[in-house]
Parts: sequence; structure tokens; C-alpha cells
Amino acid sequence: MLRAIDEADAPEIVQAFDRLTADSRYYRFMQHKRQLDPAALERGVHPRPGRDFAFVATIPAADGIDIVGAAQYVRANGSRRKSCEFAITVAEDWRGTGLASQLLASLVRRARRDGYRTMEGSVIADNAPMLALARKLGFSVHPVPEDATVVRVQRAL
Amino acid sequence: MQKPWLAQYPAGIPAEIDIHRFASLKDVLAASCARFGDLPAFNSMGTVMKFRQLDAASRAFAAWLQKVARLKRGDRVALMMPNLLQYPVALFGVVRAGMVVVNVNPLYTPRELEHQLNDSGAVAIVVLENFAHTVAQVIKSTPVRIVITTQVGDLLPPLKRILTNVVVKHVKKLVPPWQLAGAMEFNRVLAAGRTQSLDDVALTHDDLAFLQYTGGTTGVAKGAMLTHGNMVANVLQVGAWMSPNLHDGAETVVIPLPLYHVFALTGCLSFFSKGAQTVLIANPRDLPAFIKSLRQISFSAIIGVNTLFRALLDAPDSAKVDWSHLKLAVAGGMAVQHVVAHRWKQMTGVPLVEGYGLTESAPVAIANPVTIDEWSGQIGVPLPSTDAAMLDDDGKPVALGEVGEICLRGPQVMKGYWDRPAETANVFTADGWLRTGDMGLMDQLGNIRITDRKKDMIVVSGFKVFPNEIEDVLTMHPGVLEAAAIGVHDERSGEAVKVVVLRKDPALTESELLAHCKQHLTGYKIPRIVEFRSEPLPKTNIGKILRRELRDGRAAAPTGAPAVPAPANEA
Repeated sequence: MLRAIDEADAPEIVQAFDRLTADSRYYRFMQHKRQLDPAALERGVHPRPGRDFAFVATIPAADGIDIVGAAQYVRANGSRRKSCEFAITVAEDWRGTGLASQLLASLVRRARRDGYRTMEGSVIADNAPMLALARKLGFSVHPVPEDATVVRVQRAL
Repeated sequence: MQKPWLAQYPAGIPAEIDIHRFASLKDVLAASCARFGDLPAFNSMGTVMKFRQLDAASRAFAAWLQKVARLKRGDRVALMMPNLLQYPVALFGVVRAGMVVVNVNPLYTPRELEHQLNDSGAVAIVVLENFAHTVAQVIKSTPVRIVITTQVGDLLPPLKRILTNVVVKHVKKLVPPWQLAGAMEFNRVLAAGRTQSLDDVALTHDDLAFLQYTGGTTGVAKGAMLTHGNMVANVLQVGAWMSPNLHDGAETVVIPLPLYHVFALTGCLSFFSKGAQTVLIANPRDLPAFIKSLRQISFSAIIGVNTLFRALLDAPDSAKVDWSHLKLAVAGGMAVQHVVAHRWKQMTGVPLVEGYGLTESAPVAIANPVTIDEWSGQIGVPLPSTDAAMLDDDGKPVALGEVGEICLRGPQVMKGYWDRPAETANVFTADGWLRTGDMGLMDQLGNIRITDRKKDMIVVSGFKVFPNEIEDVLTMHPGVLEAAAIGVHDERSGEAVKVVVLRKDPALTESELLAHCKQHLTGYKIPRIVEFRSEPLPKTNIGKILRRELRDGRAAAPTGAPAVPAPANEA
């Protein structure tokens, strides 16, 4: 089930983060992350209406950790053309189930409703599954000048 | 598929090699020992081991593993030592017993060693006493149950052996105290093995020969599964490639790179298959001793990395070495600098022949013909039975002359990563190409040039360093809030590790942080430059770090910087 993030999700997001492998964290933050930055978490669970948004995907689990994925967008840096930047994380056990695809598609629709004209994201160049997903959902892939380790994906909304 | 590069092959080099000549490395060993029995196979510290002697010693070692240690086919055996005569004995012993070799950097810290032993599931380890203290610190939390220790001089003649072992232990004090209950001495293992029979294990191309560890973008070292088929293929490919310059049973080759590194490993096996004498250099960082060794022998080939060739050129006595018999100098592992190539040719009269490959391709896939007159500045053309293509992100070939990711196919390409199906799937394209992580272009003749790197990695003197691992270690320190590692240009090592750190504890000093790194990272991974920042590191709005902006900072290494990485070799 997908729903908008809520401030009550914060503790569970921390727990879900702790379960992610180092790889998943690296793909999300592009650096080694031992723990979530409290200020960033605080911002993440309080999206500013009309400007930022975050979905969480939940599946009821016996241990009470229901969040298995999250997707968010925020206004992109110095954007004049109303562009937003997105990120997606899906728990290892739920890879390959179509969940990421569902999250990203919902994110695209929601950003359009918020009035954004384009959506963009940075992806580690060897993150083949993410690049395949982005292409499937109509994103184009562009090199980043002077950095071959990262690519930029972008689509009109 | 078109192979324009075949026209570049020197006369006599086949387009394809016959990998069915040998079923396994065991057969390579048997063929060499039968053909070259009384010739010297290895030379270490002036002592020669003939093919015949290696055959007998490795047979005894294998029999001990099977009959006394009761290890099973496919069990993993770790080897943790520098280039000594014990290395080929143990290596071929493990292979003949039908087991799998796990090469370990002897200078690994306990953290690094523990990961590798656990990940590979090694049940036995052969370790030089000088490094036994590291094994002792972690063995309880690993599956290792059999330890064989050796001393530097163990395979030298009796008097020299005693003298060498006493000097290493008591004069130079190179053996920190250690305790490992039940550890066996190498020479006792050989003696006991001689009284045992060796069961012949029928090995095929599909059997694993090595779990060869290599770092990963996401921080954890992974074991590349190199099969006997992969190794036989690369031994034959490299052997065929060198044949215009090197003749069977007539060459002496210097190997100063550590055998635990895949480049030296396969290079050594190729020379071995051609009946060459391999001169093992245990510690090339001791340049005066290295030069002295070179002056005592007449040699026709040498392999190295740019940093090592540079160090040799800068050494005061290098001009006194007799280079007149040299016919082949192979460079790999890292980019060769123009100035080094130029000076090398001037001093020795022989060009640096650059090759390219990675652990995942056993390793050699692309190389310059050995008949070139001058260093080419390119990595060369694909070896026999090897395909190379420049592919885009979709796995489609780019136009000739355009930049794409260098992708490889051939019998030397690994089966996959040990126990990591997701990462294995990620490194191969849908069509089965191995993605190298290097960007390059191919000209109309099939010559390939590297232009950039897609994989986020730092190459220090031919050793790969992955930022995530460094950041993991840095953030283990309680005084660190946030850290990022990047590669910066370095004249000597090609690249060096720079870290940018935001402190939690403002009193944390550079030397404290480096001391922490030394506890958890082997030498070449230790940061050369530490930059403390007072602001969070630059990120996109959604929180992804902008490494490019970190790289834009100062690029040159300050003089007198601490923690200088090793030239070429960690042993």
C-alpha cells in the first residue's frame, strides 16, 4: 500500500534504514551512511505542501516494521523551470516486485499535480536496475560533466 | 562479430587459443614439470627451486591437505604471504588437492582479513609468521580451523634457512608475538605429506581455482570466481601473446609484484607454463635490496606497475643493472605515465608494453603487441579468443571512435562473484558482456584507449580503493560526523586517497584520524590528504553527495604528507 508520509513514521523510517545494506544506502546517498541525519529525517517527514512530497510503501509485517520502501521529491537546486529532484529506496526483500516502479509512477503523477514541469535525479552510473526503471518510466539519461561515476535522469511531467 | 584488431597481431599469434589443451591448472603444472624438470622454476633470495622440486613439494603439500588435514575437494585455503618459494608450493599444492586458493594481502588489518576469511569460508590458511598475529586476532570469528605457519627462510638450504629465520625474527624483529593453538609448521607439513599418497582429483574447466578478492563500489570486497577454465585460458592467451619475444625454457623473469595480486599471479603462471625461471622479489619497497637482486642475475623480462618502474628509474644504482638481456617489460594495473615510459625506454632500450584487465577477467583481456618499438599510450587490442566492445548504458554498441563502457567477453571472464547473485547480475549485460567500469574508445584498427572511469574508485599504485570502504572506516570513529573519500592526482602513485571530513568532535586531529585508519585499513588505502570542513559536505537538495564538487578542491599532495602509500606493492 502506498500512502503519504506522516511525522509518526519517523521512528519506523530509522528502523527500516538500519536494515538496509550498505549498498542500498550508498545508492541512495552516494556516500557511506552509518545513520540517518536527524535534521534530514525531520525535513523528510514534514514535506512542505505543494513543494515536497514523500510516499511510503507499507506491507504489514509481524515485527511491526511495515515500511518497505519510500520515494520522495523536493524542489531541485536553483530551478527556474519548476523542476523537482527525486529519490527512491526499496528494502532488499522487495526488490524485483514492481514496487519501485509503482512508487516512481505515483511520484511522477503527484509532482505533476504539484505543478512541477520536470523531474530529475542523480543515479550512480553502475546502478543498472535503477537506470532500467527510469528508462521504462520515460526518463532520459544524461552524462554529468566531469564525473563519469554519476548520471542524471530527467523527464518532462 | 568483426574483429578489426586481428590485423594488428604480430605474425604467429593465433586469433583463437585452444583452451582444451589443459583441463585445469593441475595439467599446466604437470606439463611444465614433465617438459622442464631440471630447469629452474623459481628463484628466491638466490636459491633456486627446479620444476622437479616444485612438483615433489607441491605433491607433498597436496597430500597433506587431503590425508592429514582431511580437507575436501572445493574447500577454500587462504594463502597469506609475500613472494617466497613457499607461495608456488602452497598454491600448486592446493590446486592439486582439488581445493580453491584464496589469495590474501599479508598486510591486511584484522578487519579486512576477517571479512575475507568469512566471505570465502576458508577452512585453512597458510601464513608467514610475520603476519600470524593478524590471523590470531580474528581466527575465532572465522571458519578457519587449520593454520600452517611458515618462516621466511623455510625453503632455503639448511644453513641459509637458519640464518635467515634468526635474522628476521631476532635481529630485524619482524615477527610480532603470536599464538595460534594447533598451528602446523610448513616444513613439517611437507615432511608429513611426503609419506602420504595423493588422490588424483579430476578437475575440469568448470571447477573453481581461485576466489580472487576485489573491492566493490558499495564497499565490501567480493570474491571473483576464477575457474580452472578461466585460468587455463588466460595462461594460454598471455603465453601466446608473449611468444614473439620469449622462448620456451630459455627465459628469466622478474616478478616484483605480489603474487596475491591477480596480475602477478596469472603472469607468473604464464611464465611458468613456458618453462621460464621466475625470480620472486619479496619486498620491492626495499629498493637497494631489489636492485642488488637484479644485479646478481641475468633476466629477460619483468612485470610491474607504473609506480614500480618509476621507483626503479629513480633509484641511484639502476643504471648499474645489466639491462642488456631484457626483451620484455610489461606494465599493468594502472595508467603508465608518458615520462616514465620515455625514461624506461632510454634506460633499458625496451619499451613498456601496456596491458589491461581486471580481476574479473583473470586478468588480461587487452594488451599492446609485445613487438612494439615505443610505448603506445593505449591499452592495446583484445587478446586471442577475446572480444571487446564499447557499449552504452543500454548495452548497445556505440559507433566506432565514440566513447562507451569497455565490455569484455572471452574464456577468461569469471563465472561471477562468490555468493553474490545480485552483484553478478549487475556486472554482466543481458548479452553476457562483462562491464569493466572503465570508459574508452576503439579506433578503426581495434586499438583501445581509456578515457574515463565510470566505477567510483581510486587506483593507488595499481591497487583499487573504493570510497565507500574508506568512508565506512572514517565514520566508525566517534569524532566523525560525515566523511567522503575521493581520488586526487599523485605523481608517484597515480592517484591518492583524499578525505573530506566534518567532525563531531572539534578536537579530533589529523594524526588521531590517521592512526584510526591504520588500525582498519591496509597501507595503500590510508588517506594521503585529510581536509577538515566546518560545513556539511555539498549535497543535492534530496541529500545525494556531490563528489564532483569535492574533487574541485585542491588536487596536489602537500609535501611531507603522512601515510605515504606503498610504491607498487604492499608486501
